[in-house]
Amino acid sequence: MGIFIKLKWFFKENLRMYAIGLLLLFLTDLSHVVPPYIIGLFTNEVVDRKLTWIYLLVFLSILALIYLLSYLFRYGWNTHIIKGAALLERTLRKRLYDHYMEMDAPFYQKYRTGDLMSHASNDLSAIQRVASGGILMAFDSSVSILLVVASMIIFVDWRLTLIAIVPLPFLAVGVSWIMPRLRRAFTQYQEGFSKMSDHAQESFLGMKVIKTLGQSKEDIQAFNEQTDRQIRINARVARVDSMFDPLATIIMTFSYVSMIILGSEFVLHKTITIGQLVSFTAYLSQLVWPMFALGQLFNVLERGNASYDRVMDLMNEKSLIHDDPRGVSVVKAGELNIRIKSFNYPDDPKAVLKNIDIKVPKGKTLGLVGPVGSGKTTILRLLLREFDSYDGEIDFSGHDIRDYRLSSYLKKIGYVSQNNFLFSTNIAKNIAFSDPDLPQNEVEKVAKLAALHDDIMQMPKQYNTEVGENGISLSGGQQQRVAIARALIVSPAILILDDALSAVDARTEKDILNALQHQSRDQTTIISASRISSIINADEILVFQHGKIIERGTHHHLLAQNGYYAKTFHQQEMASHYEAKLTGGD
Amino acid sequence: MAEKKTSETTENNSVWAHSIKVRDQLAVVWRLIKMARPSYLLFSGSIFFVIITIVFDGYLPYILENFMNKQLNDPSTPLKTVVAFALIFGSIRIFSAILLYFQNFWYTQASETASNNVRKKLYLKLHSLGMRYFDQVPGGALVTRVMNDTESFFDFWTLFLNLLYAVISIISIYIFMYFSDAGLSIGLLLIIPITLFTIWIYQKYSSSVYRNMRAKLSTLNAKLAESINGIETIQNFRQEQRMMGEFESINQEYFDARFKMVKMDSRLLGPMNQLLLGLSIVFILWYLGNQSFSSAVAGGTIYAFTNWIANIFNPLNNVQQNLSTFQDGMVAGYRAGKILDDTTYEPAQNKGAAEEVSKGKIEFQHVDFSYDGKTTILHDLTFTAEPGQTVALVGHTGSGKSSTINALMRFYEFQKGRILIDGHDIRDIELNDFRKKIGLVLQDSFMFFGDINSNIRMYDDSITEQQIKAAAKFVDADNFIESLPKGYQTPVLEGGSSLSAGQKQLISFARTIVRDPKILILDEATANIDTQTEAAIQKALKNMRTNRTTIAIAHRLSTIKDADLILVLDKGSVVERGTHRQLLAKKGYYYDLYKMQSMENAGK
Repeated sequence: MGIFIKLKWFFKENLRMYAIGLLLLFLTDLSHVVPPYIIGLFTNEVVDRKLTWIYLLVFLSILALIYLLSYLFRYGWNTHIIKGAALLERTLRKRLYDHYMEMDAPFYQKYRTGDLMSHASNDLSAIQRVASGGILMAFDSSVSILLVVASMIIFVDWRLTLIAIVPLPFLAVGVSWIMPRLRRAFTQYQEGFSKMSDHAQESFLGMKVIKTLGQSKEDIQAFNEQTDRQIRINARVARVDSMFDPLATIIMTFSYVSMIILGSEFVLHKTITIGQLVSFTAYLSQLVWPMFALGQLFNVLERGNASYDRVMDLMNEKSLIHDDPRGVSVVKAGELNIRIKSFNYPDDPKAVLKNIDIKVPKGKTLGLVGPVGSGKTTILRLLLREFDSYDGEIDFSGHDIRDYRLSSYLKKIGYVSQNNFLFSTNIAKNIAFSDPDLPQNEVEKVAKLAALHDDIMQMPKQYNTEVGENGISLSGGQQQRVAIARALIVSPAILILDDALSAVDARTEKDILNALQHQSRDQTTIISASRISSIINADEILVFQHGKIIERGTHHHLLAQNGYYAKTFHQQEMASHYEAKLTGGD
Repeated sequence: MAEKKTSETTENNSVWAHSIKVRDQLAVVWRLIKMARPSYLLFSGSIFFVIITIVFDGYLPYILENFMNKQLNDPSTPLKTVVAFALIFGSIRIFSAILLYFQNFWYTQASETASNNVRKKLYLKLHSLGMRYFDQVPGGALVTRVMNDTESFFDFWTLFLNLLYAVISIISIYIFMYFSDAGLSIGLLLIIPITLFTIWIYQKYSSSVYRNMRAKLSTLNAKLAESINGIETIQNFRQEQRMMGEFESINQEYFDARFKMVKMDSRLLGPMNQLLLGLSIVFILWYLGNQSFSSAVAGGTIYAFTNWIANIFNPLNNVQQNLSTFQDGMVAGYRAGKILDDTTYEPAQNKGAAEEVSKGKIEFQHVDFSYDGKTTILHDLTFTAEPGQTVALVGHTGSGKSSTINALMRFYEFQKGRILIDGHDIRDIELNDFRKKIGLVLQDSFMFFGDINSNIRMYDDSITEQQIKAAAKFVDADNFIESLPKGYQTPVLEGGSSLSAGQKQLISFARTIVRDPKILILDEATANIDTQTEAAIQKALKNMRTNRTTIAIAHRLSTIKDADLILVLDKGSVVERGTHRQLLAKKGYYYDLYKMQSMENAGK
C-alpha cells in the first residue's frame, strides 16, 4: 500500500480525473449486480407463467438500458483510469530524461546505458501498472465483492451466500502463493534471455573472428545449448503459470457444489425460488475476477514499489555540474593561464598533476604530448570544468574560469573528444548540432575547414546523408572530421582537440591544421595528441610525464634538447609518417 | 503470461510504417506453423485436452439445466439425488481443471519450443551468410531479430490458441443449445456475423493506431538511448534544453498514440463485447418470454442459455484482445522470413573440396574482384608468396588492400582468375582445414565476454593451458597478462573495455598463434599505441611471421622493410613490386612516397 502514498502527489495532481474514473468504475460495478436480479425476477414470472407483454417489455427495456449504461460507464473509466497510467508514465519518463540530461560524468560511470534504459522502460511500466491495474484491483475488486455479496444476501439468501463464498478467499490466497513463485521463475527466464542476447550480440559483432577461426560450428552449438536450457527454464515458468486457471476452477467447484446442494434443498423446500437460484449462479461467477485480482494486487504493488524506489534513487543522485546564474556570462577571447600546484581525483589521493604552469597568449596554439596517463587529459578535464577543486587556478581572459557562468563558459569552448559520437540524423544536422538554425553556408564553411566538404559532396545525398544506425557508416577519420566541424561551428574562444586527429590520414591532418591556423586570429587552440605530427607547428609544446611537464618549447627547440620528445619523434614519428604515406592511415 | 514483455528495440523500424499485405501475412503464418515442427506433439496433446474441456464447458450447463428443470421441479426429490448430482457435477469440473493444467503447460512449452526453434534456425542461417551481409546489417538489429522478435511469436501462438478455442467453443455450445432449444439456438446464430463484423471493424481501425503507437515507442526509445550514449556531446555543446524539448514532444506523441489506442480499445473491445453479450441476453429473454405465452419455459433453460452465451463471448473477447499484439508476431515473422530467405551466402567451395593446406604457398593469378559485380576493385592481381615469405600490401585507402584479404579469406567471392594455395585451387580446399590453417589477425581486436584464457582458446577445448601460455609468451603478451591480478583468469568485459588497445592486439595475436596456422594474414591496426606496448607488438609481429607465409596489410615500417615482396597497390592494380631496397633503387612511385615525406621532415 506504501506505493499509493508515494504516488499521492500524482493522484492529487489528477484528482478530478481519478475522481471521475473511480465514480464511473463504481457505477460500472453497480450496473453489474442489477441484471442477475432482473433475470431472476423474470425467470420466476416465466416459470409461473404470469408474464405479460407489458411486463416483458418493461423488463427487457430496463435490462437493455442497463447494458447500454454499463457500456458508457466502462468506456468512461477505461479512458480515465488507464489514461492516468499513461499520464504517470509520461510524467515520470520526462522527469527521468531531464534528470539524465543534467547528470555528470561520475553518474554515467556508475550506471551503464542498459541500466538507464531499463529504468526508463521496465521500471516505469511497473509503476504505471500501479496507477492502472493497481487501482483497478484494489478499488474494483473490493467494491465488486461488497456489492455482489450484498446483492446475494439481499436478493437471494444469506445462508446460501455464506456457504458459497467460504471457499473464495482461498482463491486469493492461492493466487498470492503462486505470484512470487511465478516471479522468481520469470526472473530466471529473463536472466537466461539476456545471456542469450549477449551471446548473440557478441557473435554477430565478432562474426569475422568466428569465421576466421573456423568456430562457427562450436558457436552454433553453444547457442543451441543455451536455447535448450532456456526451454527448460521456461518449463519452470509454465509449471507455475499454468496453475491459475485450474486453481480458479477447483475453488469455484467447491462453491458450486455447496450451492447446488443447499440451493436445491432451498428450492425444493420453497425457501427460495428457482429464479433466485438462477440469479445466484450469475452472482457467483461475478466473484471470480475480483478474487483473482486481490491475489495479484499485492504483487503489482510490491513490484511498483520496488521500481519506484529504484527510479527515485536515480532521481536523487546529485550532479556536481552547477550553473551559477551569478557568474560572469560574457566570455571573450584572451590569454589562458594555468597554474596548478597539485590535483588529485576526488576518489584517489594520488596527485595526478604537479606544479603545472602554462601560459597561452591569445590566438596561440598549445600542443600536449606524453604517454597514456601522464596528465594530458586531466588538464583538459579541468579546463572543461569537470572538476572545480584543485590547488591552483586557471584563468582565461582575465577571469578565473570558475567565476564564469558554466553554461556561458562551455558555450565558448569547442571540445572534440577521443570518442566522437554522432547522432543518427543527417550530416548537416550533426555539424550544426549546437544550433540547428544555423544556415547551410555556415555548415559548409566549417566542413571545408575540417577538410570534410569534398567527402560529403561525394555521398549519395550530400549534406542530407543520414549517418549512424539508419544511415551510412562513416570511416573513423570522417567521424572525427564531423566532430571537428561540429566544434568549429560555435566559433569557440578555446578549441580543444583531444586526440581528435588519430584516425585522420597524414595529408588530411595537415590540411586541417593549416586551415585551423588561418581561420581565426583570436582563437586559442589546444591539441593533445599521441602523434607528434598533430602538434608539430604549435607555438608551444608541453611534454607530460607522471603529471609533470618534463620538457617544453617549440618543435625545433625540443628537438635540440634531445630529450624524451626528440627520442619519441625519431623513434616513432619518422616511421609513422612513411607508414601513413605508404599505407594511407585512414 | 502477460508479464512476458520483450524489451523494446532501440532502432526505428520502418516495418511499423506500413501494414503487411494479407497474402504475406498468410505466408508468414504458414511458415511459422511449419517451423513449429518440434512442437507438433505438444501442441496436439494440448489441443486434444482443449477440445475435451470445451465439451465439458458446454455439457455442464446442459446437465444443470436438466437437473433444475426435472429434479428441482419435483418436490419429492430426495437429498441423496441432489448430493449425488452435485458430486458428479463437481467431479467433472475437477477433472476438467486437471486437463486445463496440462493443456496450459503443454501449450506454453510448445510455444517456447517453437520460438526457440525459429531462433536456432535464424542463428544457423546467419552463420551461413557471408561477410557482405554482416558488413551491411548492424549487429544490434540482428540481435533484435534473433532474440526479441522471436519472443513475440508467443503472441502469435496465443492468438492461435484463442482462435481455436473460440471456434471449437462456438461449435460445441451451439450443439448443446440446439439440443436444449433448437429454435432459440438458430436465432442466436445471428451473433456470429455481428461479432465478426465488430472484430473486422476493430481490426480495421486499430491496426494502424497500434502500428503508430509501436512506431512512436520505437522512436522514443531510440531517442533515449541516443541521448544517453551521446550525453558527453550534448553537455559539451549545452544542448540539454533542446534535447529535453525534443524528447518531450516525442514523449507526448507516444502518449497521444497510446491514449488513442486506449480509446479505441474502450470503444470497441471489452465494453463492446459486454454490450453485445448483454444484448444477446436480452434477445434470449425476449425469445423465451415470448415462448412462455404459448408453452411452459423452465428456469433451468434461462440459466443454461445465459451461461452458454457468456461462454461464447469470453473466448471471442480473448481473440480480439490478442489481435493487436498479433501484429507484433506478424512483423517479427515477416522479418525473420527475410533473414531466412536471404541469399547473401558465404562463397561456396567446389563440390567435394578435400584438398589441404600443407606448405603455405600462395598464388594470385590474374584475379579480378568486385563487391557489387559492377565496379571492379581489383584488376588482374598476380603475385606469388613462397612458403615462409612475407608479402606486404602497401597503398592508400581504397587501393584494394582489404579486398585482397577479403578474396583470399573467402569472405567475398572473386570473379575472375585463380587463387592457388600449394598449387590447389582455393575453392578445392576443404573449408574447415582452410580456416584452421590460415590465421587472420584483424585490425579491430574483438574481445569476447569471459576471461583472457577463453579469449585465446575460443571454444576449442583441445587447447591446453600450457599451449595458451606458450602462445602468449610467443607474442610477448605473457608479461602484461601475468602482471594482472588474476593472470589468465582476469575477466574480460563486454568489448574488452578493461584492456588497452595494445593489450587487446596482443591477446588477439595469441588467439591466432595458439592455433599454429601455416599462413598468417595480418591486417595491422593503425591505432596509436603507447611506446612500451608498441615495442612488444613489433617483436610479436616479427616472431609470428617467422616461418609462416604472411600476407600483411602493413602499417608499420618495420613490417614493410622486412617484407620479401612489397606490392604497391593503386586503384586495385599493382603499380610496383619488389623489396624495400629494390623499390627505393627504382626511384618510382614508392620512392616518391617515401622520400617526399622524409624531405619534408628534414626541412623542418
